[in-house]
Amino acid sequence: MVLADLGRKITSALKSLSNATIINEEVLNEMLKEICKALLEADVNIKLVKQLRENVRSVIDFDEMAGGLNKRRMIQSAVFKELVKLIDPGIKAWQPMKGKNNVIMFVGLQGSGKTTTCTKMAYYYQKKGWKTCLICADTFRAGAFDQLKQNATKARIPFYGSYAEMDPVVIAQEGVEKFRNENFEVIIVDTSGRHKQEDSLFEEMLQVNNAVDPDNVVFVMDATIGQACESQARAFKEKVDVASVIITKLDGHAKGGGALSAVAATKSPVIFIGTGEHTDDFEPFKVQPFISKLLGMGDIEGLIDK
Amino acid sequence: MFSMFKNLIGSKTLTKEDLDTALEKMKDHLVAKNVASDIAVKLCDSVAAKLEGRVLGTFNTIAHTVKTTLNESCVQILLPKRRIDILRDAMETKQQKRPYTITFCGVNGVGKSTNLAKICFWLVENGFRVLIAACDTFRAGAVEQLRTHTRKLNALHPNVQQDGQHMVKLYEKGYGKDAAGIAMEAINYARDSHIDVVLVDTAGRMQDNEPLMRALSKLIRVNQPDLVLFVGEALVGNEAVDQLTKFNKALIDHSNSENPRTIDGIILTKFDTIDDKVGAAISMTYTTGQPIVFVGTGQTYTDLRNLNAKAVVSSLLK
Ligand SMILES: Nc1nc2c(ncn2[C@@H]2O[C@H](COP(=O)(O)OP(=O)(O)OP(=O)(O)O)[C@@H](O)[C@H]2O)c(=O)[nH]1
Ligand SMILES: Nc1nc2c(ncn2[C@@H]2O[C@H](COP(=O)(O)OP(=O)(O)OP(=O)(O)O)[C@@H](O)[C@H]2O)c(=O)[nH]1
Ligand SMILES: [Mg+2]
Ligand SMILES: [Mg+2]
Repeated sequence: MVLADLGRKITSALKSLSNATIINEEVLNEMLKEICKALLEADVNIKLVKQLRENVRSVIDFDEMAGGLNKRRMIQSAVFKELVKLIDPGIKAWQPMKGKNNVIMFVGLQGSGKTTTCTKMAYYYQKKGWKTCLICADTFRAGAFDQLKQNATKARIPFYGSYAEMDPVVIAQEGVEKFRNENFEVIIVDTSGRHKQEDSLFEEMLQVNNAVDPDNVVFVMDATIGQACESQARAFKEKVDVASVIITKLDGHAKGGGALSAVAATKSPVIFIGTGEHTDDFEPFKVQPFISKLLGMGDIEGLIDK
Repeated sequence: MFSMFKNLIGSKTLTKEDLDTALEKMKDHLVAKNVASDIAVKLCDSVAAKLEGRVLGTFNTIAHTVKTTLNESCVQILLPKRRIDILRDAMETKQQKRPYTITFCGVNGVGKSTNLAKICFWLVENGFRVLIAACDTFRAGAVEQLRTHTRKLNALHPNVQQDGQHMVKLYEKGYGKDAAGIAMEAINYARDSHIDVVLVDTAGRMQDNEPLMRALSKLIRVNQPDLVLFVGEALVGNEAVDQLTKFNKALIDHSNSENPRTIDGIILTKFDTIDDKVGAAISMTYTTGQPIVFVGTGQTYTDLRNLNAKAVVSSLLK
């Protein structure tokens, strides 16, 4: 599971507090060092890690604090609050509305898993009884339309795209209009992979965005990404109104901490995770149960004020 | 008397404590530049080992000395121990009347097929005829992706067709078939048709996926390509180490041979997407000791470079 390993390391670092006879600055620093090491090994952005360390330190004033138990609780609760901040942007996840046209645009870096994940999401809602469809607004990547078409056909999801039209804006607009008229409920628009360094690609994304006026923009991130995630995610957010994150490829060995920095950068929650190459390797992600599970790994529940 | 003199001109024997603060800062710097964290630690340890007990030069700060030493180590790591000269080797196999074969492997979505197409373009520019073997028989659109590249590449080289043949050909058997078998048929086909180079595209796979790793090692075992290239993206964080170690390990474990084939070199892709966070280059070469043969710097056919070790290290330490 995402960050499971990390959860274990953190709880074990926190336990070191319970084992220490006196809690002083040294014990705190040692524990923070362990936690930060675990976070960095999971690819969490170094700026976020440093901030976490500072924030926990600033909560604890050794001169003013009295009892040992109190200190332990305060430290543990401060650590958990900071960890929760990493995963929970404090915003309610976007939900499609039944009986309406919900237009969802997928964006992200090259090869992050957008096209695969589009079909997964359409299939997920289709199984729940929604009327779903796919639009291929990637005219750049070789074989992009074939890829979407083959996936959609296999999952029996209606799709729209073109071999002849080279302008993704035109395709996106036509596709969305067609499916709106046919009362589709979940209309998913796949776009080309892009990166912040290439202005024309970002401009294209904005144009597709303006043409389809999406109800939700999903930023798709690969679990293996390292420190470059944060600035890319921030740039995407600055250009279009990213409101959700999906982390893919969590079936591998990656902890996904790099991708998590997209949560902070876009102030958007993770809504699904991808756990394989097949259409049903897809799970909804809910922040609260995830955190309780992370907490549940130690016996430290109830530390966070509700 | 003498020791006082020494202090005046500021030279000083470096102790571990002197170095610790500077190295701790350097480690964080490397991690921020996307060097895998345990490799950042190892690099700093090696710098400590080199510097401890040495006398600090007159006007040099500790930070400066650490940086210079690290600079040397990193350039050393990135400089290829072995040069891979594909054009020369392909010329040689051509004289032996057999095709030169390159296999591309790596995890999902890193840029195997695209960079295969770029290398194809480069080979054609150098006068070689190429057969692309579509051995990703799993991912939707994988075959059509290569067909599109083949068509585009031939359109770019309309005048260099030799004896009425296209410079680039695609060998494909659709989806669902055994990749190792298709690679073998392709290589035989290339030999019979006097095609100079075979580029074998494979499906992306996670390094922990045992059946898929087994299938890859079979492909390599039965076809014995001239070159096995691992494709990794510059965006990857700590996973860089695990990917390379496990790809190599799988090739060894499933080889049934005393002298197994392993990864010969690395293609580092998406170098245009990372600004100065160039750490993956260090993580990958440190892990395997294998050279970075090409760097992918964009999505068009000409976006393929050689690694400039000095430039990479200078953005790493900036
Ligand atoms: N193992 C695994 N592979 C995945 C997952 N999601 C996607 N992939 C694979 O990742 C690769 C890239 O996926 P795509 O869907 O083509 O990525 P993309 O973002 O559309 O790529 P571009 O359109 O080129 O930017 C493919 O091989 C997918 O099968 C996942 O959750 N797990
Ligand atoms: N910016 C940039 N994008 C690249 C580079 N190399 C490849 N890409 C893009 O990355 C995406 C994935 O490339 P592919 O070649 O399909 O990757 P792959 O490894 O073959 O993917 P699978 O076969 O699905 O595992 C495409 O959108 C490519 O255009 C590069 O050097 N720079
Ligand atoms: Mg795509
Ligand atoms: Mg491919």
